Amino acid sequence: MKPGLAFSFGYDDGSLHALTSARTEAEVLLRDVYSLPEIDLDDFSVLFVSMHSDQRFLASRAPQIEEYLAGGGVVVANGHYAYPYLPRMAGFHTIDNYRLSDITVLRVAEHPIWHGIDPHDLTFRRGVSGFYGRVWHDAPADAQIIHALGKPDLPLDFIYPVRRGRVLFHGGNDLWSFGGDDKQLAPRIMQWVAEGRDVQ
Amino acid sequence: MSLAILDGGTFYHHAAIHGGRYRELFDKTIYAPELTTEALAGVTFLIVPDRINPNVLRARRDVLIDFAKAGHTLVVFGENRADTWLPGVTWAARPTNFWWWLDKDARPPNRLLAPDHELFQAVPFENTIWHFHGVLTPPAGARVLIDVPADPEGRDSGGALLYEDRVTLPGRMLVSTLDPFYHHGSNFMPAATKLLDGFLPWAREKALRPGRGGI
Repeated sequence: MKPGLAFSFGYDDGSLHALTSARTEAEVLLRDVYSLPEIDLDDFSVLFVSMHSDQRFLASRAPQIEEYLAGGGVVVANGHYAYPYLPRMAGFHTIDNYRLSDITVLRVAEHPIWHGIDPHDLTFRRGVSGFYGRVWHDAPADAQIIHALGKPDLPLDFIYPVRRGRVLFHGGNDLWSFGGDDKQLAPRIMQWVAEGRDVQ
Repeated sequence: MSLAILDGGTFYHHAAIHGGRYRELFDKTIYAPELTTEALAGVTFLIVPDRINPNVLRARRDVLIDFAKAGHTLVVFGENRADTWLPGVTWAARPTNFWWWLDKDARPPNRLLAPDHELFQAVPFENTIWHFHGVLTPPAGARVLIDVPADPEGRDSGGALLYEDRVTLPGRMLVSTLDPFYHHGSNFMPAATKLLDGFLPWAREKALRPGRGGI
């Protein structure tokens, strides 16, 4: 499988370290987000967009990202969707003065990336809630919803098709920083990407 | 005579800068990759929020330094690697303890060294306290406003979380390790919102009336 590509943002962050240091099916390379115009995305099996990415810049490259997806690429995008850099995405909804019940992670569908991970362990980190997600997004109508926030119809994690490609959207802190040492999500995401390639 | 802020284009910069809570305070919002000397015409107070891509800031360091050289006020928040582009800044990473507050008996190590500084009339010290990302060693002659003692595990000898430097350049520079724009713009930490609730109106007042308060 081709390597994955993660956009870096100029300073060290534990999240990117968790992604590039994990034992993955294929390696994940780091490139500064602003080098995107010079990158041939077809050299990569999956594109990781951290929550710390300059979405305004990515929106200026939306045609390049859509072309990559249409050709069978995979984008794993994190954070709150503030600028239109992905096809078929809409905005997000904040929850004012949220309580625990508003931001409890609910599993709506089983998926191999999260297999064996208790949603409770996503809701809480050392007893503190909110790291995994605090807002919900409008998902495309044909999206597969994996997790919802507080109520089953408020999407938090979802996967949707863009022609031959797929977007995995996680509306919170970088997905690959969860799962703990024994259930790291980065290798699982790469495995999922690899299996999708086999199907195609 | 105006207040400007750089916008790094992330979702949390978007929420904090363009969201309804603060947007009326800024006379000018400059997308960081588009920062030029011309864009700063008329600006007297410039905020560099936390977590602007340092590659962008390094590429425009002359614009930022010239701004401070002109006698204006430059405020630089954390996770910007200011030590790589702003004169006088020395920074050391310290592994972040996000959890210091979970122990009910724990006291934060943060120390207010300049309670008489005008900033703290607008921003209560307790609103500056959360986890921190590394420590700063100010240049000689700078005034430390908030610091922390030596790392209990011996990784550094302590340093500033916020200092004011009026000696390195003709202008005034406030440099901090704190990252309130990220936390406020992520809907995740009330202290960060409280800090900005005090700091941003103060910054606007200083930008519009630079004669007051000793700038």
